Formats: sequence, structure tokens, C-alpha cells
Amino acid sequence: MTLPASNRIAGRAEGRSRHEALLLLVVIAEIGFFWMAGRNFGTADNVANMVRHSVEVGLLALVMMPIILTGGIDLSVGSLLGLCAVLFGKLWRDADLSWPLAALCTVGIGSVAGGFNAVLITRLRLPPLIVTLGTFSLFRGLAEAVTRGTDAFTNFPDSFLFLGAGRIAGVPTQAWIFVAILVGVWLWVHRTTFGRSFRAIGFSPEGALYAGIPVNARLTLAYVVAGAVSAVAAITYTARFGTAKADAGSGYELAAITAVVLGGTSIFGGVGSVPGTLLGVAGIAVLTNGLSRIPATMSHASELSGLLTGALLLLALGAGVLSRHISLRERRSSAQNRRQPSSS
Amino acid sequence: MRTSPRRIGLAAVLVLVSVLFGACDKASNQGPTDALRTEGSDARRSITVALMPKSKGNAYFVSCRNGAERAAKELGVELIFDGPTHPDPAKQNEIIENWITLGVDVIAAACENRDGISTALRKAQAKGIKVITYDSDAQPDVRSFFVNQATPEGIASALVEEAARLMGDSGEFAIITASLTAANMNEWQKHIEALRASQHPNLKMVALRPCDDLKDRAQAEATTLLSAYPNLKLIMAICSPAVPGTAEAVKQAGKVGQVKVIGLGLPSENRRYVKEGVTDSVILWKTEDLGYLTVHAAKALVDGSLKPGDTTFRAGTLGSFVIAGDHVLLGQPFIFNKANIDQFDF
Repeated sequence: MTLPASNRIAGRAEGRSRHEALLLLVVIAEIGFFWMAGRNFGTADNVANMVRHSVEVGLLALVMMPIILTGGIDLSVGSLLGLCAVLFGKLWRDADLSWPLAALCTVGIGSVAGGFNAVLITRLRLPPLIVTLGTFSLFRGLAEAVTRGTDAFTNFPDSFLFLGAGRIAGVPTQAWIFVAILVGVWLWVHRTTFGRSFRAIGFSPEGALYAGIPVNARLTLAYVVAGAVSAVAAITYTARFGTAKADAGSGYELAAITAVVLGGTSIFGGVGSVPGTLLGVAGIAVLTNGLSRIPATMSHASELSGLLTGALLLLALGAGVLSRHISLRERRSSAQNRRQPSSS
Repeated sequence: MRTSPRRIGLAAVLVLVSVLFGACDKASNQGPTDALRTEGSDARRSITVALMPKSKGNAYFVSCRNGAERAAKELGVELIFDGPTHPDPAKQNEIIENWITLGVDVIAAACENRDGISTALRKAQAKGIKVITYDSDAQPDVRSFFVNQATPEGIASALVEEAARLMGDSGEFAIITASLTAANMNEWQKHIEALRASQHPNLKMVALRPCDDLKDRAQAEATTLLSAYPNLKLIMAICSPAVPGTAEAVKQAGKVGQVKVIGLGLPSENRRYVKEGVTDSVILWKTEDLGYLTVHAAKALVDGSLKPGDTTFRAGTLGSFVIAGDHVLLGQPFIFNKANIDQFDF
């Protein structure tokens, strides 16, 4: 590959926007299809359901994205959700804290847990995959230990359950939390130098270091934010479900990674966007919900949505590779005398 | 073709967010479920029964489904059978919430987590959807009836008496259960312990292990038990995937005959082990009948022929069932062994 780096980045960025446009079409097509073929798909209550059911995976995907952007991964977020859920229950019921205070402490605990991942990754220089595979088991194990596998926290006050089941201005309460974090992450990744440094780290950690980017500090920040937001997801999960149990959020890490990758973020780092991630989450949420509303698929919705999500993911990846290939070839022919400004 | 990627991204976000919020806002105060139900009553008006298993792949629930489908066909109701692919209480809630907006008439659920699912079932009742439970109950105030496959006393007594008979009324045994939080299993286990203490004090329970309703997990747990407790005389597997799992572990450890296996399970899944002499007896009710009775009760609840306070209930070809309080009782458990197991194919 003899292409100048700036061209390569511009090429990828354009491939990414093409991917997003394609994914947006897919999501619109899904919505259109289920609107016509599904029973009661477009009702306000069902849209609210879809939003409620995907807020936790959506939150995890939003903070997974910057990590994958740096070339890392965090497999521990689902387990951390479970741990935070039971610790929140414990703080509220056994330590007698008011729930807002308990929630605040839980977010603190989540950040510390994310920091723990970060220390192992940046100080011990262990691969994120291995570190978070370890904490994936560790956090879930702790959650089971805290509850001895049997304890469940329930009977939360209505003011708390409002977070999971209530509406503000007609919109599910937790959707507001999600939008706030969505905007925050979008600004962070697309409008500050943090986002640029995540991409730089993803392209080349050594290069980023020599370019004067405080790589360890940036990585730490990404994992700490992931921990904190996992704790927020634990709280909305508990409020929606009305019960905090050690198995909360099992498998959510993979659902989040799937949404991020479907959204066009490269698993090798360096390329990705928040809108793409949001579209990835939406694509899966609509598919899962819609399939349970078509008479022919009603009784196989869970199996089919897994199958189709997998197919969609492979298709999206295939299309991404193809379009990148084409755009690279176009570019190579005109690369000699044209310089592209990097647009990301 | 050079659009700024940022602009497309931003547009995507804006479109999606505004669609979501717009749709939520527009109809949030018009009582959409009611609107759709009346609209539906003109177009299609067979009763829709939504039946939820704890997990879909479990042969126990597959067999319930067969009975349920038979009942649905007889009654001319529409049957939806959906649930988590693995036991997952949160997923059960999500499916129930989807059923609420789908506008089903009655939900019949086997509950993985009693308190967790009650939130969703309460919501369904508030929307005018009838709720019954079967196999494993929710909180009593969120459902009209519980179709009880067998009383805990009946199950516990069948298990303990079989165990005592096979163990010569003394020695160590262990229990493998689905999860330590499943309401029905905890109830059975409580009665097993009470019966053991009062009737068979020489039996000693040395371990209680969960297997997450998974066969391979049960096999691993049983293997651990076999090496951890060398004096073990019997393993009692009280969730259906655990019975063949345990039998396989005993067989692979070469302890057939030395460690007996009994449990609650399906004849079809255990036939091989029963015939080989690994598993001595399998105790269960007729699961097809459970699904059949559940759908009949669900339909009767919607059309008003089953009401609180009734003491008997007629379910199609199966005849009459006793109702005790708000429990519809399926009857006594049945013991499958080498002699009779070939007569059953579920």
C-alpha cells in the first residue's frame, strides 16, 4: 500500500459515510416493512417498548464504540452491568441509602471498575481482549458472590421505577438519559480532540505516542467512561425490570459489539462513528421487535432475529469491504496529483 | 459523490431521533391499545393466546407446546408460542411487553423469576389482558389462575419415596436443580427436605447444585459431585435437562448401579438411560396435558366460562379438573420406569 496516509483516512471516512447511508436505508426499509406487515408495529406503545428494550444495549454500544476506535474492546460491560445492578440494590436496601444516592455511588463503582480494566491494559500492557475477558468473569462472579446466587433486590420505590417504566413528555424516561449520553458521546468523539486521538491510537498506538498524544491517559478515560455508563445502564435496567439480580445484562457485551460493528466501526480500530453505532442499535432493535409482530414469524422471533442479525452483520461487513475496495481503486488512479483534506 | 460524512451522520441521527420521539409523542395520550383492539375486533376476531415457556428449546416445553397446539386447534384460537432461547427473566419481560402492544387477549406464562416477571404481567392486566401462569407461578395478584402441574407435596413425596426405596432408606444423596431462584423448584425442595426429615431421617442431602436448566452444565455438576462425594448413593435431578445430563455423567464415570439416578424429566429424553439401567425412575406429569389444560383455561378465562371461585373446570377431551383456590390442578405425578416407559412418546 503506497497510498499517502491522509488519502487513506479520507477514503475510509468516505466509505464510512457510505456505510451509514446504506444502513440508514436498511433501517428505514425495516421500519417500512414491519409497519405494513406487522401487527400494531407503529403504535406509540410499541415504539416506546422498542426504545425501552434497547436503551441498555444502546448505552453499552455508545461507550464500546470509542474503545473499539482505539483498537481495543471491552468484554466486561455486560458483567459490570450485573455487578452494578446488585451493588445498587445492596446500597439501597442494605445500606439504607436513598436511591439517587445509591445510583450515584453505583456510577462511581462503575468508573472504578472501568479504571481497573484501564490500569491492567495501560500499566501491565496486556491486550484489552484478555484483560476484559478476565474481568468479564470476575465482575459476574462478584455479582453472584454478593447475592450468593439467590438474593434478588425488589420492591423499589415508584419514584425509581419511573426511570424504567415512566414517560416524560410522552417519551420513555430512560430515552432522555440515552439521548443525553448520546449527545455527550457524539460531542466527545466527533467534536473534541479526544475523538481524534482515539482514532490516531486505533491506527497506530506508537505513532500516536510519537505525535505527542498521551495514549495511556486517553485509553484510561475511554475505559472509565465505559464503566460509568455501564453503571447507568445497570440502573435503567433495574428500573425497567423492577428487580436486580446477578444475571442482569448477560450477553449484552456481545449485543453491544454487534451493534457497533454493524454500525460501521472497524474492529481493528481507527474508523467509526456515533451515528453509525446508533443506526446499528436501531437496526437490531427494529428487527427483533418487528419479527415478533408478523404472524408467520411470531413464534420464532427470537431465533430468527439472531439469525437475521448475523446475516445483516456479515452483509454489512461484506459491503463495507467491497465499497472500500472500489473507492481505493478509484482513488489510486487519481492519487498522483490530487490531495484530499482529511475530513475526520 | 462527495457528501461530508459528518453531514450524513448528523442527518441520520436527527431523522432517527425525531421519528422515535415523534411517534412516541403523537399517540401517547390516545390509549392506543384500546383503539387497536376495537379495530381488530372487526377484522379478525379469534382469541389470541400467548403462551410463554421458560426457555424454548427445552423438551419439556416443546411437549407442552404440542398439547397447547392441539387445544388451540380444537378451540379455534390463535396461539403464539414464544420465549427466551435460554432461560432469561429479562427477556421474558421484553416478550410480554411486546405482547401487550401486539394486543393479545390472554397471556399464559411459565415464570423464570417470580418478582421480575410480575412487573410485566401487572402491566398486561392493567391493559385489560387476562393473565394465567402455568408450571412456575408469579406473584398471586398478577394472574387469575395458576395451572399447577402437581402439588409440591405430591412431587416431593414421589421423589423422596423413590429415593428411599432405591437407597434402602439410608445414605447420602445430592440434588441438581435448575436455578436457586426458580419458585417451583425451591418449593419442591422445601417439601423434599421436610419429608426427608420427618419420614426418612437416615437419608442425608449433601449438596444442592444449580445447572441453569442446561444439560451440559448438569453433566458437569454431576461429574463434580461424583468425585467430591465418594459415598454418594443417589442423585436426584429436579429439572428436566438435568436427568439425562446426570445419567450421562454417572455412565461416563463408570458408576452405574453404584450411584442411582432419579429425577423429574421427560420419558423420551431418558428412555435410553432407563433401558440401560443408569436411571431408575423418571417422575413427571403428562406435559402435553399441561399445555392442553393451560390453553383451555386461558381461553375459558377470556370468554368468561372460567371465573374466580369455580371449583371444577372441564377441558375438552381430558375431562374435569379440580380447582383449589386459584390453582387449577393437573393431578398426581406419574412414575416412568423400565416397565412402562415405552408406552409414552413425549
